Amino acid sequence: MTKSLTLVLLLAAALAVVPGFALGGAVARPDAQSPTVTQSTRLAPSPIEIATIKRPRLRETAPAEPPKPVDVPPSLTPVEPVPSPLAPESVEADVSMRSIAVTSGYAGAEIVVFGTIENSRQPSAESGFYDVAIVVEGVTERQDLRQKQRVGGLWVNRPAFAFASVPSYYALASTRPVEEFAEAGVRDALGLGFDHIAMTPAVAKSARPSSVELAEFRQAIARLKSNQSLYLRDDYGVVFSGRSLFRAAVQLPATIPVGMLTARVYLFQNGVLLSQYQSRVTLTREGLERWLHDFAFDKPLLYGLFVVALAVAAGLTASAIFRPRAM
Amino acid sequence: MHVYLPIAEMSANALLFLGMGAAVGFLSGMFGVGGGFLMTPLLIFSGVPAAVAVGTGTAQIVASSITGAIAQYRRNNVDLPLGLVLLCGGIFGAVIGVQLVRILRELGQFELFLSLCYVLLLGVIGSLMMIESVRAIRRSQLGGEASTRRPGQHSWVHGLPFKMRFPRSKLYISAVPPLLIGAFVGFLTAIMGVGGGFIMVPAMIYLLRVPTNIVIGTSLFQIVFLSAVTAVLHSTLNSSVDAVLGALLMVGGVVGAQFGTSAGAELKSEQLRFLLAAIVLLVGLRMGWSLVATPTELYSLGNTIRGR
Repeated sequence: MTKSLTLVLLLAAALAVVPGFALGGAVARPDAQSPTVTQSTRLAPSPIEIATIKRPRLRETAPAEPPKPVDVPPSLTPVEPVPSPLAPESVEADVSMRSIAVTSGYAGAEIVVFGTIENSRQPSAESGFYDVAIVVEGVTERQDLRQKQRVGGLWVNRPAFAFASVPSYYALASTRPVEEFAEAGVRDALGLGFDHIAMTPAVAKSARPSSVELAEFRQAIARLKSNQSLYLRDDYGVVFSGRSLFRAAVQLPATIPVGMLTARVYLFQNGVLLSQYQSRVTLTREGLERWLHDFAFDKPLLYGLFVVALAVAAGLTASAIFRPRAM
Repeated sequence: MHVYLPIAEMSANALLFLGMGAAVGFLSGMFGVGGGFLMTPLLIFSGVPAAVAVGTGTAQIVASSITGAIAQYRRNNVDLPLGLVLLCGGIFGAVIGVQLVRILRELGQFELFLSLCYVLLLGVIGSLMMIESVRAIRRSQLGGEASTRRPGQHSWVHGLPFKMRFPRSKLYISAVPPLLIGAFVGFLTAIMGVGGGFIMVPAMIYLLRVPTNIVIGTSLFQIVFLSAVTAVLHSTLNSSVDAVLGALLMVGGVVGAQFGTSAGAELKSEQLRFLLAAIVLLVGLRMGWSLVATPTELYSLGNTIRGR
């Protein structure tokens, strides 16, 4: 009887090992992160969600505020700028949370960037009179890029390029694709779009890469980071909920490095940058997880001893519990 | 149930790692091995950075082998002087190994190096075990009893200086071979996150001619202390020990091991070794595949050590 139990347990163990292999097949890249991470963080708000939030609000606000006496046809395409005697538009914005804590159960979070246009001449939320682009950037860090090359039949990592400063996190949300309302030069200057993110190459030790190579390296970083949900783009993420009020939900993945997040808001009209605003969010670690992280990096020797003590305790506890059965 | 692993810097399902710990613990309890050589590859397959997998693995080995070590000590199966000599060599090897991990990690070559080590080690050990177990199964079918101890035989080992007396093992041998064996195992522990019992046990039996009943106890004694020291070294120099991940693996591991031990007692040792050899070869093949298969993404981000 015990023999059959043994075989069953043996089978169970073998089966438990097999998913490891299967899992490995799915995550072939060494840098790939756990699939569970991407699952939990891909919680981008669907357009339907936003629409349902927006619609009732519109009914409230639209009749309450009569359209300004500016001659603007209510169409979805941008209209000719109307010279106005009114004061120039300016944008102000804020973030829903001033500080976000990364805790043990952390599987990503969402912040809402909202703002308002002063002296808005927009007749309604849907007029498309203004274009808004919101960029949320994490702390910049040095980023090495490696390229796998085949050496004697094996795929070996070779250093490809080093960037002295790359945003650890980047999220772009806009009223429509930024390419439609901002020229390449403007996108470069403001960092709108994955190809326009400010990345400073490290001082090259040997050969300087060609502009084609450099573009490929930048694209590789953006691609790898977007695979980890660290670089995000939502072309219709900014939604107006009134003549001057707009908002955008921005996803923060669990792997986001802690530090200061910067939210930059750009107001465009007909391809012209009218106003910009900047706001900050602090991302911290809290709870047991923060404590362990700080402990590990501040007092590594004590931390190591602590983990070993944990291991000893785990081993002894288990043997104490199981002793009557095992012996 | 999602948890955030503070050092691996990833959020993952706790049940995955609890289950992984239990499965490896079960196998290690059944086969009487540390299981580190299975744990580290499985952690890497599931997305844990290679260095964190190794560092955390060493801490997990402490939990999985301490119970056995104490039990063996109580049965007077530990040759303390011999264990201490092995441990001295082991710590020396571990210090070198941890430094090597740090350098390779900075160069971005640690993953490749680790994979190569695993392919080589698992391939060799797995093949040898496979051949040996097949022979043993044949032998037992023929009705003969296999004996590993051949007393009275002398080899080059016995001609070395610094002779020491190990009464418990009934040995009078040079301290150099145990020191070297210890150093090699310590090096492997540091770079691969393994206990090294699969090297230590055959080396003690065939090179040092330690009696078989003493071998297991002394090896376990040495592994507990060596992996504890290595875990502290990894934590201090590489900050690559994840307490949350470690705790999950430990809890799963120690529970699994208890069931594995009683399961192992029911099976013939030749069959066990054959099974273990098959698992070892499979893991080695899987590791090797990741080295030669064309990757879907040629670029990867340099794993700069975060924190601050």
